[in-house]
Amino acid sequence: MMNPKFKNVFIRVLRRWVFIFLGLEILAFSLLGTNFLSLDTLQNILVSSTTVLLLAVGETFVIITGGIDLSVGFMVGFTGVVCAKVMVTLQAAGTTQAMAIAVGIAAALVVGLLPGFINGVLVAHLKVPPFIATFGMYGIAYGCAEIICNNVPIHDLPSAVGPIGHGFLFFWVPGKLFRTFVEPSGLSSIDLKHLVSLVPNLFLITVVFTLIFGFILARTRFGRHTYAIGGSIDAAERAGIDVKRHLVKVYMISSFFASLAGVGYVLRYITGRAPAGSAQVLDAVVAVVIGGASLYGGKGSILGTFVGAMVLATLVLGLANLALPTYYAYIAVGCILIIAVLIDQFSPELVHKED
Amino acid sequence: MKRWMMVVMSVVLVMAVGFGLVAKPFVIAFMPGIADPFYFTMEKGAKAMAAQLGPDKVQLIVGQYPATWGPDAQVPLLDALMARGDIDLLFTAPTSTQALIPVLKKYHDRGIPIITVDTYLGDGDYTKASDYSFPLSYIGTDNKLGGEVVAAQLAVLLGGTGKVFLENTNPDTSSVMDRERGFRQGLLGFPQMELVGVEYCLDNQETAQAQVANALQLHDDLAGVFGVNVFSAQGAHAAVAAAGLSGVVKVGTWDATATLIEALKNGEVDFILAQKPGEMGSLCVQWGYEYLASGKTLSVPRKIVPGFFVFTKDNVNSPDSQQYIYSK
Repeated sequence: MMNPKFKNVFIRVLRRWVFIFLGLEILAFSLLGTNFLSLDTLQNILVSSTTVLLLAVGETFVIITGGIDLSVGFMVGFTGVVCAKVMVTLQAAGTTQAMAIAVGIAAALVVGLLPGFINGVLVAHLKVPPFIATFGMYGIAYGCAEIICNNVPIHDLPSAVGPIGHGFLFFWVPGKLFRTFVEPSGLSSIDLKHLVSLVPNLFLITVVFTLIFGFILARTRFGRHTYAIGGSIDAAERAGIDVKRHLVKVYMISSFFASLAGVGYVLRYITGRAPAGSAQVLDAVVAVVIGGASLYGGKGSILGTFVGAMVLATLVLGLANLALPTYYAYIAVGCILIIAVLIDQFSPELVHKED
Repeated sequence: MKRWMMVVMSVVLVMAVGFGLVAKPFVIAFMPGIADPFYFTMEKGAKAMAAQLGPDKVQLIVGQYPATWGPDAQVPLLDALMARGDIDLLFTAPTSTQALIPVLKKYHDRGIPIITVDTYLGDGDYTKASDYSFPLSYIGTDNKLGGEVVAAQLAVLLGGTGKVFLENTNPDTSSVMDRERGFRQGLLGFPQMELVGVEYCLDNQETAQAQVANALQLHDDLAGVFGVNVFSAQGAHAAVAAAGLSGVVKVGTWDATATLIEALKNGEVDFILAQKPGEMGSLCVQWGYEYLASGKTLSVPRKIVPGFFVFTKDNVNSPDSQQYIYSK
């Protein structure tokens, strides 16, 4: 038989396979690609991952309770269109750009809570299977988005949107100047060439919310209840948890994160498009599952989800670096998902080891 | 004497080898707008010019073709291309007049000259000061003029009277909106002609087909349709053909794909305005190379306009026309 100590190490390593996978991915692309190991590529990966990461963080909560939220894909388009529409309307009405942008973002975040609330009520109170409830909402969100934008992408947004979405936390010309948030203007072309921009705004926003909700999941009673419901609804109820109320909140968290992704989309692409994000639902679920969550509930972590999202973004940008067509990524992502679920299913030892 | 010759020859040899290593080619990158025959043809033209200039002068690198049209598909691929870090000049078709401004500005600021091809930033006037006037040049069709030509051609076919429908694609894309503006302008010359509707298919051919089919339902006396690019035109053609109205409803199209050329030969399409994507690609590489070779001092025209060619039933089979058909 296998030495128990060795077996223990082996299981520990296997349980963290996604970290190893990410490392191998980076290694492979660094060897095969052109200048893959660079600050540019790193920041590109971080920015590209934001949509999937945001969706996946919300999805992590839902999946831990044993549910799934498929509505988040078109929620990105829906809230993005709301955000863009409000901005364009206010701008046309003559408000300041700052006001138009702030109200647009706030509107998207508030409106975005409603579908989550409905999902939660359907799942928790009316016992509609999460797959069906949120799949229905997926269609509803898309239809509403198309109605709001009249089947045409919303453009001509306030001109300050681009600089926010493409901005950075730090701007640094080595040996000369250091700024936060505001890109220094009036630089000579030589200084511009040496300008180093660090920490993209979009990633900053994403990481702040990810950390807050990572803390909530890992360290608070709310988080413990989430795991408890995923472990066993009956046990959770017997322990005095208001399961229905909790589930509604969990689905609202998921749609809140989808709204954040919608706002992020508008800031980065300076447009509101109804189908935005629809392709990212699969990626979000994959990120959560390869991050160690179980679709049977009770298991998962934000750190795992974060690494899962990085695995996917690295894959897409690595393939682009090699100038290989994007559809290889779809095949790879599909395979990774199935393998991750197989690992989850056929290694009860791994499941039980997780506490 | 012999030894002296030997020395001279070895010096020459060493210098030749040395120059071969030192004379690094300029790296020119091309980021297409979407995977379609128009951009494939552009790449072909660019490659031909790069080969003509020689591999010691220009190395052409082509980014991944975006699967769909729009900044969300193009920007990550563009960023990945530029992260290679060895690119001296970029030519690209911005998929949005607005969303690509901050993205391309960033690379311009790093000292990489940008040429926009086929589509442009802002209103495309790079001669006046603005936040989008940084590109070296716009190389592309005079789309407004093309739209006017299509309107006139349809008017001729319809005897200057009747209802027409416009199938467009992305309303935040410069090229196709100019075609719409030109088409509307052109129709003003024919007061008996009425534009009964405009739809946007967002570069989805099935959407275009459904929208034109719907227009045919709504207006049973519709006399003509104009599809403004590969996807809108192919969708418009498919809808008219499926309704059995080929020849009855005149179909004016844009972009000479093999599908549309075949349809023209079959009488299902009435004319095609062909752009010159190969020439655009070739011009980008040529001007790009000359600008870089001049030490970035050459004054490049801010707008370079290759012409277009109109295919009709009468000239589609002539040997001279074949060069204007798009191909992979």
